[in-house]
Amino acid sequence: MTELVGLLAAVVPALPLACAALLQVTRTPGQADRLNLAAAVATAATALVLAAAVLAHDDGAPLRGERYLVDGASAVFLALIAIVGLCSALMSPVYLRTAGRSWFSAGRSRHRYYAALYAFWAALLAVPIAGNLAVAWLLVEATTAASALLIAFTGARQALEAGWKYLVLTTLGLSVALLGIVVLALALSRAGHRGLSALDWHALEASAAGLPQEVLLVAFVLILAGLATKIGWAPVHNWLPDAHSEAPAPISALLSAALLPTVVLVAWRVKQTLDAGVGGATAGGLFLGFGLASVIVAVPFLWRSLPWKRLLAYSSLEHMGIVALGIGFGTPLAIAGVVIHVAGHGLAKALGFYAALPLLRSDPDAAHRAPRSVLAASRPTAVAMGVSLGALGGLPPSPLFVSELLILLGGVAAGETAVVAVAAVALALGFLGLLHAFLEGVIGEPGERRRHARHRSERPIAVMTAALSAGMLALAVAGLLLPGSAFVDTLVRGVL
Amino acid sequence: MNGALVAAMLVLGLGVIVVRRRSAAIALIAAQSLVLGVGALGLASGRSSDYLVASLVLLTKAALLPALLLVVVRRTREPRLVAPAAPALVRLAGAGAVALATTALVPPLGLGDAQTEQTAVALVLIGIAIVVARRPAFMQLLGLIVAENGLSLLAVSVPGGLSYVVELGALFDLALVVTVAVAFTQRIHLELGTGDTELLRGLRD
Repeated sequence: MTELVGLLAAVVPALPLACAALLQVTRTPGQADRLNLAAAVATAATALVLAAAVLAHDDGAPLRGERYLVDGASAVFLALIAIVGLCSALMSPVYLRTAGRSWFSAGRSRHRYYAALYAFWAALLAVPIAGNLAVAWLLVEATTAASALLIAFTGARQALEAGWKYLVLTTLGLSVALLGIVVLALALSRAGHRGLSALDWHALEASAAGLPQEVLLVAFVLILAGLATKIGWAPVHNWLPDAHSEAPAPISALLSAALLPTVVLVAWRVKQTLDAGVGGATAGGLFLGFGLASVIVAVPFLWRSLPWKRLLAYSSLEHMGIVALGIGFGTPLAIAGVVIHVAGHGLAKALGFYAALPLLRSDPDAAHRAPRSVLAASRPTAVAMGVSLGALGGLPPSPLFVSELLILLGGVAAGETAVVAVAAVALALGFLGLLHAFLEGVIGEPGERRRHARHRSERPIAVMTAALSAGMLALAVAGLLLPGSAFVDTLVRGVL
Repeated sequence: MNGALVAAMLVLGLGVIVVRRRSAAIALIAAQSLVLGVGALGLASGRSSDYLVASLVLLTKAALLPALLLVVVRRTREPRLVAPAAPALVRLAGAGAVALATTALVPPLGLGDAQTEQTAVALVLIGIAIVVARRPAFMQLLGLIVAENGLSLLAVSVPGGLSYVVELGALFDLALVVTVAVAFTQRIHLELGTGDTELLRGLRD
């Protein structure tokens, strides 16, 4: 088992990089799209096999090699990144067929798009299996370059603004996180733990209690504040709505459903490993602070009539806040909720962004204003948007209904009743905001008829809606079975 | 690291927030990177050969990065100097205040060399201040490099050296980010006819 996991841990990030290189030698758009299909299926399948192997091993107990660490959390995040990456790769030809201008020359834009997409996907897949804090940081930083190019892919002024803002703000944020890592390395060095291996997750968890608390706290705050910039937690979320709204829809899905949770995993691991030295209450309190701030800041924007992708971006802010709350509570119930929430949010949000493809095709002005009466124009698009909004709003049987309930109950179990009360009110308000968007934007005025000719992008969104809805229903069932399971106990125990 | 070299890095970083000409700012960045490389090389004796390699890479960066930046300057001629967001003295006073506040507020980080610790943190914050206070995209890119040099200063000062994997990896990531930022700078210039990021303010809620 260990040999298989070790091999797959090396292949999973290497395969998409090889695919990126192969895609550069294709000669026609059709050839590139066909190779993309094969590459995406192969990449996702390999990652899913690794995730399944880890889950099959002793309820997700950690498996370590010299360069990797995989546990139950790795498996969940790997599976999510694999599925969202696969869906985004499959939806990319739909986007590229109808994309207008591009930063790159017409002949090379498809090649550049696929190169950046697969490089981005490779870095994302590598983060959950990185066995070391510094290596995880390097991989998170590596996502920045590829994803910034993808955000600004159209080369339009607003896309350049979004891409530049994302590049500068997240790079500065990650610089602050690296400062924290260097401070941590200093403390470890003085305690006799030197070299790269001192920053291995399991080594950190073992040595954290013996480090000076004041220095450890400084390091923890710097690392968390830096990562918060990349996650898009309030108040350092300025890049998030712009990047999500300006990026091509399949990339917006990857950013929201895969990148943000992946960086959350790094922050979660930092908390798990440094808890003993920093003090659980302090570490958890910082997560609760970021979580509450994000949920509260998002609510007013969910009530506004925003362009569809911008609305989804503020919903990401809200949901990353909920995940932060769950990690901050840290009880088994809350952790079970976090796992379901990350996966459920990923599927629901990806579907929402994919729905933007037919939406913007039939109504290009919807890029700059709230959508209107989508049901009258396209039933498959309206269904996809409705399912996404319902799931994100936490409407049963959405897995997010189960996960939010688990997280709030976990908060009560942790004795954080006041935080739970504020969060519950904010979530209810957020739900009403999304309901308003559904009634106004998707359903619209009764009797309105605005039928457009069928577009080729409607069939893929119908298939995506069916597939992702089935995945969400399965997650909702899993959410009911998860509390009290050995898998959650393993997650709560950490990486040792 | 030698106290004079550390002080020189701080002064050169402060210079980037003040100068108007991009070529002058590149000269300051080149000098700062060179000082960092020389200082790291001075610490290499008694450490592993990996550390020596990392120091030489820092010196190489000091040579290559300014060359790349000069190419960008030649390709993105500004029709006129971009109007500053605030007068040079105000920018300098702001950055100086950041540096002084760092001295007062940063707790001991365990290096045993308060000057290096405070200068490293101050340079990261000055880098952020440059991004905030300078309007040209090119100058904001230099702010990222100043912050990175501050990080490298602390990293090379860790007893025994931070793992060369981390140092080289961070440099590789910096190279990636700078390359993409350079591409953005050129594209922004092509789109707007200037590198003034003040014109990139269309996305609001």
